[in-house]
Amino acid sequence: MDTPLDLLKLNLDEKVFVKLRGAREMTGTLQAFDSHCNIVLSNATETIYELVEGELKSNTKGSEMVFVRGDSVTLITTPAE
Amino acid sequence: MSFFGFDTSRPGHNEGSGRDSRKKTSSNAKRAENPVDFEETYRGLGDYENEEDDYLNDETFGNATELGADFDFGYGKNEAEAGGHIDQQTVNRSYASAAASAGPGVMNTGYHAGPAHAMDDGMDFTPMESLWTNQPAIMSHQQHHQLQQHQALSMEELERQQHQQMQQHGYANMPPPAHMGYGYPPQAYLPPNVNSAGYQNIPQGMPQGLPQGMPQGMPQGMPQGLPQGMPQGIPQGMPVPMPMPLPMAGPPQQYQQSHVAMQQQHPPASAPQQPPQMPEVSSGTPQSPEVGQQHAASPSQLVAGKPPAAGNAASAQVLRSAHPAPIPRTQILTPDQDLREGTPRGSRRGSMRKPQEPLSQDEFRRLQVRQAKVDKILRHSGVMTPRDKDFITRYQLSQIVTDDPYNEDFYFQVYKIIQRGGIVSESNKGLIARAYLEHSGHRLGGRYKRADVALQRMQSQVEKAVTVAKERPQKNRENLDGAKEGVLGKISSARNSKAPRRQLQIPLQRDDDDDVTSSAIEDVVQTLNGVELSASSKARRRSSYAFRSVDQRAVLSRSGGRKFVLSLIEDVYAEVLELEAQLRSGKETDSSHLWESLHISDDAYEVSPFISILSFDKGVKIMPRIFNFLDKDQKLKLLYCFFSELSHLNIIVTSSYKTNSDPTDSQLKKLELFQSVFLKIIVSFLSSSAEFLEVLGLLLALVKNNNVSFISTSKIGLNLITVLISRAALIKQDVSRGNVLSSVEASSWNEIYDKLFTALETKLAVVFPPDEYTAKVVDTSSTGTVTSATVGQSNKHQFYDQSYIWQFLASLALSGKLNHQRVIIDEIREEIFGTINRAEQLMSTVPVEEQQIALYQRDKLYQDLNLFLNVMGLVARDGEISELK
Repeated sequence: MDTPLDLLKLNLDEKVFVKLRGAREMTGTLQAFDSHCNIVLSNATETIYELVEGELKSNTKGSEMVFVRGDSVTLITTPAE
Repeated sequence: MSFFGFDTSRPGHNEGSGRDSRKKTSSNAKRAENPVDFEETYRGLGDYENEEDDYLNDETFGNATELGADFDFGYGKNEAEAGGHIDQQTVNRSYASAAASAGPGVMNTGYHAGPAHAMDDGMDFTPMESLWTNQPAIMSHQQHHQLQQHQALSMEELERQQHQQMQQHGYANMPPPAHMGYGYPPQAYLPPNVNSAGYQNIPQGMPQGLPQGMPQGMPQGMPQGLPQGMPQGIPQGMPVPMPMPLPMAGPPQQYQQSHVAMQQQHPPASAPQQPPQMPEVSSGTPQSPEVGQQHAASPSQLVAGKPPAAGNAASAQVLRSAHPAPIPRTQILTPDQDLREGTPRGSRRGSMRKPQEPLSQDEFRRLQVRQAKVDKILRHSGVMTPRDKDFITRYQLSQIVTDDPYNEDFYFQVYKIIQRGGIVSESNKGLIARAYLEHSGHRLGGRYKRADVALQRMQSQVEKAVTVAKERPQKNRENLDGAKEGVLGKISSARNSKAPRRQLQIPLQRDDDDDVTSSAIEDVVQTLNGVELSASSKARRRSSYAFRSVDQRAVLSRSGGRKFVLSLIEDVYAEVLELEAQLRSGKETDSSHLWESLHISDDAYEVSPFISILSFDKGVKIMPRIFNFLDKDQKLKLLYCFFSELSHLNIIVTSSYKTNSDPTDSQLKKLELFQSVFLKIIVSFLSSSAEFLEVLGLLLALVKNNNVSFISTSKIGLNLITVLISRAALIKQDVSRGNVLSSVEASSWNEIYDKLFTALETKLAVVFPPDEYTAKVVDTSSTGTVTSATVGQSNKHQFYDQSYIWQFLASLALSGKLNHQRVIIDEIREEIFGTINRAEQLMSTVPVEEQQIALYQRDKLYQDLNLFLNVMGLVARDGEISELK
């Protein structure tokens, strides 16, 4: 019951914060995941950071339901309030 | 010298060295007599016998006769030997004595040491007068005792040996002090130095060098601690001046000669030095080492005189190298060190130290020290008999449980008497006893005319004491890891039987999730629990505090932590899925596992985990499926638990305008979810299968264990109360059911209703959330899809739906008697008229094209209001309240 994915299971239907490769982050409600860390988020907001002329800029886009491929996931946690 | 805290009176410390040295010292003593003219050395400082604090000298250093009597630092050995050593003791007492001894000792090597001491004294004198003022007086004493000198010498020899060990360490330190010293060229001091140098050079060198080393090594452990630090610093800086005078003085020159002569002896000297640990140097050997020391010292001094002190070592080395005997650098340095550090330290140490016995003695000494400590501890043991202790315990106990701590505090009474009368006579006792009786109340009630008889009071005190004692272990168990009792002692002010002593408790953080306020609240609650409040009031208090811990995490942590609750939810899901699978395949279902996984009757946590399950959306969502598998008993238990701990329910907290005045969209959605899922289950259960008494039981659980007025500030809470009382009212009125209420049922209903009403009375107006809150809810919800507010035709015309409040008031009024209704109307009159006004204004302020919407809202307002008014046979229409026809 204590493998990492078991712990992730506890957060099903809870808000999670996901960090992705390529300076992206997502927050959303965890709907599903698998052993590859493929995850499905609902009510997700994706934040993309980029460096434009030395300045950090971020864009966000929301999606009602989104599939995130596991190979880009670097971190999953509960979002800071 | 008292500053250093040693017992200078201790005779023995030199003894170890003394034995070896005695013979030689005796021989030295004769020589020493000449050099020991302290008046010259110290410029007459030794003359003033009595300075300001000199009267303390005896006390500090001990009188010869009293020596060893009080100043026993655990070196018992000395006492045995002490008889003959009294003189020695005096000799060794002080730094000054050491210095003095060094001075006389100069015979062989003297020059270094002599000047060094003189300089030290002079230098120190200015900055630390207090330290040094005492010395002169002492010194004079010392002068008288030749024995002293001898001893000092012996000590010094020991020191020297040890010092040699230490040399290497000291080496590193050498240069800096030298520089320091240079900084000051104290002209005034120079002359004396020179003199002393001349004097001592010859004789002193020997003793200083050797002896100083010894003490350092040994004593450093225990005795040195404080004393070393102070003296060392001073002396170290001092050495520099020393070299300066030398060149000027004639004697040094002589010295050199002698020193040359000495050098031949060098080789032997080095030998003794090498075995530094050996405290006992054979009487014969010391001489040679001394000589060696002399050499070392003399070269350094001589050379140093011209160049800075730093140069000393180097120069010394050079000289050395020239000499046949190859003495390592460290050795050369030794003398310097001795001069600077060694002497003061050594002497001090010597004074502190008793016997520098062979190492085998060490253990013995340690034993003695321990024995001394034990003796100290046991000194007063057995002074009190058990009865005495008992007596005192009783007084203290009575103070704990008394109603009147001041008057029953025996100590306070006695103190008062003493203060008042200042009586010191025999009558004292009688007075005290009488006064105490007066205060503590005898048969007639004492001065304060207490009605209660002493016996009674005694009984009640014992009773209280017993309960206090009973409670204590309980508390411990409850707080096991939650609080450390007595960390800061107990708070003892202002307590009596009604407010028994509280313990100051420092909450530990149990969990990362835990938040400070909540755990503090917990502790308060626990403390209160320990005081045996009735279960109901306990629970009520708990809940009333609970709303302060709005933080859901706090509640979570009180029911096992977030992770635990989440895993519970997973378990529940697994169970439900399994049961559903069984159901589909037509098997019998057994809900016992599911029931266990709900942890409803789990007492291990302060807040039932089930309540925390409901604070997660997924926990709420699974409820209908859970209910499919529970039998009626289980459902009842579940609901009972639910209503009992309603205050902890996250949804209550977030839906109360008091604790969450700024609800977020997601919170409103949660609220909506809860209403549509769980409330629905409750309603259907109540209306389908609950008996009247069961409804009453749930209502009682709610009223008894919660702060009803707080719950009534939340929409969900109000809904739940409404559901219960309206259901009860319906059953009661449902004549068609054919079952007439038994008198028991009726009376219990009245009783419970009274309880509920009492809890709400005077707070009925708070069920109406303030306008800011309703506005916020409307605002927030307008951005979302589903809201808790009534949606008008357009977003713009949303308004807060107060119907749930009027429903509640209606059902409350419906079940109440006439006087209840009157109270209700009294309290919410403002709201009634406010609503009517708002309804009327809607029509007048709204533009024509929105009349339709306004009309709808107005009707809605009236409709809700009339829900309540109709119960009492009234109706509000067109701004008027009239009787319902």
